[in-house]
Amino acid sequence: MRLRHRSAAVATALALGLSGCSEALGEETSVLDAESITVGVKYDQPGTGLLGPDGELTGFDVDVAHYLTERMGFSADRVELVGVTSAEREDLLVSGEVDMVVATYSITQARKTEVTFGGPYYVAQQDLLVRAEDTDIDDVRDLEGLRLCQGRGSNSARRITEGLGIRVEQTDAPSYGACVDALREGEVDAMSTDNLILAGFLAREPDSFRLVNNPFTEEKYGVGLPHGDVRACETVNKAITEMYQDGTAGRLLERWFGDTGLDLVTSVPQFEGCP
Amino acid sequence: MTGDAAGSPPRTGRRRFRLNSTPARVWALTVVCVVAVTGLFASANTALGQARSGLDVLGRDAGPRAMATTDLYLALADMDARMADVLLMGTDHDLGSGRADALDRFEASRRQADEALLHAASLTEGDSVEERTVQAVLDGMGAYERHASRALLLNDEAEAPPGRVDEEALEEYRKATQLMHTELLPKAFNLGLDSSAIVRQNHEEGQRSVAWGMLTVGGVGAAALAALVALQLYLRLRFRRRFNVPLLGATAGVLALTVGVVVTLELSNDHQRAAKEEGLDAAMALARAGAIATDMQADQSRYLGDPELADNYQQVYLERAQQVLFRPAENLEQYYAAVDEVADAYPDLPGADGPDDDDPGTLGYLGERAQGSLLPGQEDALAEVLETYERLHAADRDLRAAARDGDLAAAVETRMSVADSRDGAFPAYVTALDELTDLHRRAFVDGIARGDAALTPWRLGLPVLTLTVLALVALGVRPRLAEYR
Repeated sequence: MRLRHRSAAVATALALGLSGCSEALGEETSVLDAESITVGVKYDQPGTGLLGPDGELTGFDVDVAHYLTERMGFSADRVELVGVTSAEREDLLVSGEVDMVVATYSITQARKTEVTFGGPYYVAQQDLLVRAEDTDIDDVRDLEGLRLCQGRGSNSARRITEGLGIRVEQTDAPSYGACVDALREGEVDAMSTDNLILAGFLAREPDSFRLVNNPFTEEKYGVGLPHGDVRACETVNKAITEMYQDGTAGRLLERWFGDTGLDLVTSVPQFEGCP
Repeated sequence: MTGDAAGSPPRTGRRRFRLNSTPARVWALTVVCVVAVTGLFASANTALGQARSGLDVLGRDAGPRAMATTDLYLALADMDARMADVLLMGTDHDLGSGRADALDRFEASRRQADEALLHAASLTEGDSVEERTVQAVLDGMGAYERHASRALLLNDEAEAPPGRVDEEALEEYRKATQLMHTELLPKAFNLGLDSSAIVRQNHEEGQRSVAWGMLTVGGVGAAALAALVALQLYLRLRFRRRFNVPLLGATAGVLALTVGVVVTLELSNDHQRAAKEEGLDAAMALARAGAIATDMQADQSRYLGDPELADNYQQVYLERAQQVLFRPAENLEQYYAAVDEVADAYPDLPGADGPDDDDPGTLGYLGERAQGSLLPGQEDALAEVLETYERLHAADRDLRAAARDGDLAAAVETRMSVADSRDGAFPAYVTALDELTDLHRRAFVDGIARGDAALTPWRLGLPVLTLTVLALVALGVRPRLAEYR
């Protein structure tokens, strides 16, 4: 896939007789110049990115990816979406197997050393999901001494234990879905991660669970781009601004999370900037 | 030369201009030389003009405008900070530098925000996306001020004691600060980023066109040299003379002009790049470090004044602090220790290339500055910034310890002394940061001036040298043509 982009770009440059010159003259290569674009999205998170039985990827991130790629100048037939896991996002971007990642991908200082982030396109917050009938938990401090589940590789429990100094009994499940199962079965008392992800699970089973809606950290969902691709980053930022201005962002958030009681922010987030 | 041709009798002229005659060939070669030299003048003139206008746009137009947009974020953040302070002070109007001072500064920041917005509105004309953003901030400012002044009124009416903001006033302030942080500040910040993007695009386009100009000047210069050498060789063969001295002079002139212009363009490009990277980009990054820190220190007042959301305000304090200076830390205690370590170790930076693979190093606005190349005096100025930043967090530790121990009065007093405009820890940090920023602003102005200075001699030099070369060509060719009269 990626190879095809490169050879196409090289062919174009050779055709212009400028391949060497344009690089010498400081024209940086960008995913914007390629014939097509491959975007990584989540495939196992209802609401944000989920692979359905029909083989279709659906969710908020998927819709955002379509909106952004269109504004970046790619018609729908030149956009390929692929499912990615949390762990492989950096590697796929660095190796060039995907050109862009829209996959509940939190912007962190550490990741910024390897990836250039457009956006954030949404600022989610860490929150708690509990069983609908558990009305005692209104606040993260109410978790003291209770059983808390987090997806493996996630940092969310540490934010509660180390960040806020609350003692909990921690369980690591292989995935968010497994945490949801454990919560339903009463094996744990709460699960914690970004509220957008929790709301996605809640929307599937609104009667079983409840979102506490008392968030305590910010998770800035960025659009991952190859490191140093400033042009694409600026184009993405402009597209995100338009997505909020023309009401698309509000509609999409409402469509995917409107029924969950989640407090949605429908104005454009503060961008990180393109280094 | 052409005067000679025009003055010649037409009949013989027709015979002379056939290319198989010697004078016709001399004429043809001369015309090629003149065209090439004129082309060299034109391409050099264009390239030097592009370099000049590139410097002009960066130095006097897009650059200063971009700096101005960062003021908007700072002014807005400062307004919300002053409002939080005044509410926290309650009835004790003499805490820190006092209520009147805080209200004056609120007013000053409001005016500054208005000005910056008007400025932004004039800049964004023609870009509908940005225009809408500016309009949204304007509208939001009005709503913010309504909530804020109502909060103040309610708190005054309730005669709320220091540290215990009235419930209803707090409700209003929450609306105000929420509006500020979801609607106003993000848009203001993004406007600043937009203008940085415009600077970058202008700068890169300029650098590219100057680089193309260098190639063109080099190419045309080589062609002119070739033409002059060809003329020289032809005259030598045909007229059996050793060297045509005027033509040698013209050749040397073309060589000097070509090399001189290319070197000058390269030099001015370098100065422009330095002005942008070491000057403007750095100054803007530091301005952002100041603006975000302004919002961060106000989270101390919000933390004390709104106990229900205290955990959140503590968390965002840490998040904003890590934007300013990043070290891996899960909570504030770890962060305080990390900041101490950075301030002590500087100019060495903890974490970089250390044994821990998960440690990305010292990052954030200040961390990245500390990694960059150094201007004279920068190291001392940055060391001072890090020290004042460390002291700011030391005060934060005291403040939160007092709050946890239930000593609200001590916590409020610590907070108000941090913000004290006479000798507080935060104003001290701002002063140190301003000094560092000024170094970069000066580097920006100097870089532009150096670029201009490199180009200036060519304003006169280029036409004079070109005319001299043309005159030398005429001097070299005319005696030979005269032999055929």
